[in-house]
Amino acid sequence: MLEDLGVTQIAEKVRTGELTAEKVTEESLARIAALDGELHAFLHVARGDALDQAREVDRRRSRGDGLGVLAGVPVAIKDAICTRSAPTTAGSKILAKYVPPYDATVIERLRGAGAIIVGKTNMDEFAMGSSTENSAFGPTKNPWDLSRTPGGSSGGSAAAVAARMTPCALGSDTGGSIRQPASLTGTVGVKPTYGRVSRFGLIAFASSLDQIGPFATDVRGAARLLSVISGHDARDSTSLVVPSVDFEAACGRSVRGLRIGVPDEYFGEGLDAEVGRSVRAAIGELEAEGCKVTPVKLPHTNFALATYYVLATAEASSNLARFDGVRYGLRVDPASPPGVAGAPASVRSGVSDLRGMYGATRDAGFGAEVKRRILLGTFVLSAGYYDAYYLKAQKVRTLVRQDFERAFAQVDVICSPTSPTTAFRLGEKVDEPLSMYLNDVYTLPASLAGIPAMSLPCAPSAAGLPVGLHIMARPFEEATMLAVAAAWETHSPASALRPTPISR
Amino acid sequence: MARPKIDRDVVLHVAKLASLSLSDGEVDRFAAELGRIVAHVEQLDALDTRDAVATAHVQLECAPWREDEVRPGLSHEDALSQAPRVEGDGFAVPMFVE
Repeated sequence: MLEDLGVTQIAEKVRTGELTAEKVTEESLARIAALDGELHAFLHVARGDALDQAREVDRRRSRGDGLGVLAGVPVAIKDAICTRSAPTTAGSKILAKYVPPYDATVIERLRGAGAIIVGKTNMDEFAMGSSTENSAFGPTKNPWDLSRTPGGSSGGSAAAVAARMTPCALGSDTGGSIRQPASLTGTVGVKPTYGRVSRFGLIAFASSLDQIGPFATDVRGAARLLSVISGHDARDSTSLVVPSVDFEAACGRSVRGLRIGVPDEYFGEGLDAEVGRSVRAAIGELEAEGCKVTPVKLPHTNFALATYYVLATAEASSNLARFDGVRYGLRVDPASPPGVAGAPASVRSGVSDLRGMYGATRDAGFGAEVKRRILLGTFVLSAGYYDAYYLKAQKVRTLVRQDFERAFAQVDVICSPTSPTTAFRLGEKVDEPLSMYLNDVYTLPASLAGIPAMSLPCAPSAAGLPVGLHIMARPFEEATMLAVAAAWETHSPASALRPTPISR
Repeated sequence: MARPKIDRDVVLHVAKLASLSLSDGEVDRFAAELGRIVAHVEQLDALDTRDAVATAHVQLECAPWREDEVRPGLSHEDALSQAPRVEGDGFAVPMFVE
């Protein structure tokens, strides 16, 4: 059933009684049990809680109470999003035993809509990575080819949806962490406009860029999830007050006459030729549907990577200062220094060993990529370098935003590849941080500009690996973006495909 | 402006600011890796940003101030529930005054 049904069909069948929420949830848990030994998409499966939630949905229905728009729909949650009473590790040893005492706003909203939270998904530690290989708990594998990565950082959520263990999931996107894994796993992934979705309860990486968004097997499913999780929240001071939109209704809109911009900068050096052809074919199909395709210029595209790595690491170095072994998470007391063996660490040289505890805790708790980014972020904020690196990058961020403002004066959406290549092999890029970072060249600019963007599958490569079409829109224009996505989806040869290694 | 070379001393200084105790091997490795990343970042020098204002945040014009009123927060018990060390009814930290 989950092999073929998406979010909206499951909700409809549960509403009409054709399926019970319990049966749907049982199948989701059974698929996880059968497939996750190989894929490792999940860090925690909430079997008991999920079945309890499902039975409650079924009881509500039998009582004749109203059902939410996600009633009975299993959803997987990236492990950076706090769930009351279920572990939330952010893929880090420092939070290995953390159980949040509260739900994130998006979790409250999912529960309110009747969704069944089946588990927490694997991710690069603190969302820092593009392959899920930076998880402290081991990598996730791509359901389309088990020797390859599903992308990251939300790789577990993407793999769970690609393998149809759940029809939808939540991820978070700071520089491409929803869109790139969606591209590499052949799923639909949406990064909303910055501020559209509350970040309350999302473990912060880079606060001016982080945004929670949906994965789903189809565009309508992602649209329905987005409608549920978006909206103002007073607990997030960057949460926007903007009119709510029925994103699902937008999926049926005609795209005739819409103007699609195609930026040369996204089709240059570094782009795999097969990926480029597949994306251009999709754009050609939209043109045949009545869209007008015109070239646009985004001249600062090549500077986005450097800008992002200054700003995101600076914000991360500040956000991750909270992990100090005091209020939550791991705590490691430093070994007694030589000469005072046996004495409590705190009496060393008559002063404190508070700093020693901080250092030992953070050294033991953080992985290499997290340390690398904390160091870079601290460096660009440090005395003497702030203006040259941090302030400079903030100014270039303005230039990137202005590129989009100028382009969107001429077109309604911009289409490009999501990622320059199809899924790469596990281990292929782990030793060269810069080459790993280059995966995100096409997704970073939209993050810096705070605009909505999404990825959905187009024609796969000759080797059968998914390719993603990236659609970007003006701030708050998710509806236009989803309309274009839904129009393409009806033509996409990818819609009927399933990952063969796991559908035996 | 003159750019710094990322060497062991820079890494050790920054690690101290960031409260990270690094092993010797880590210091060498991060010095090399950060050096390459910072060299990549220096391509931003090619851009003229004299007239550009800095963007710290986007779309904040639509984010309202909330009312300044008391709201329920975590209970004392919940707030302490995840602390690695608790003493009495507070977080326990290493002694730092004599």
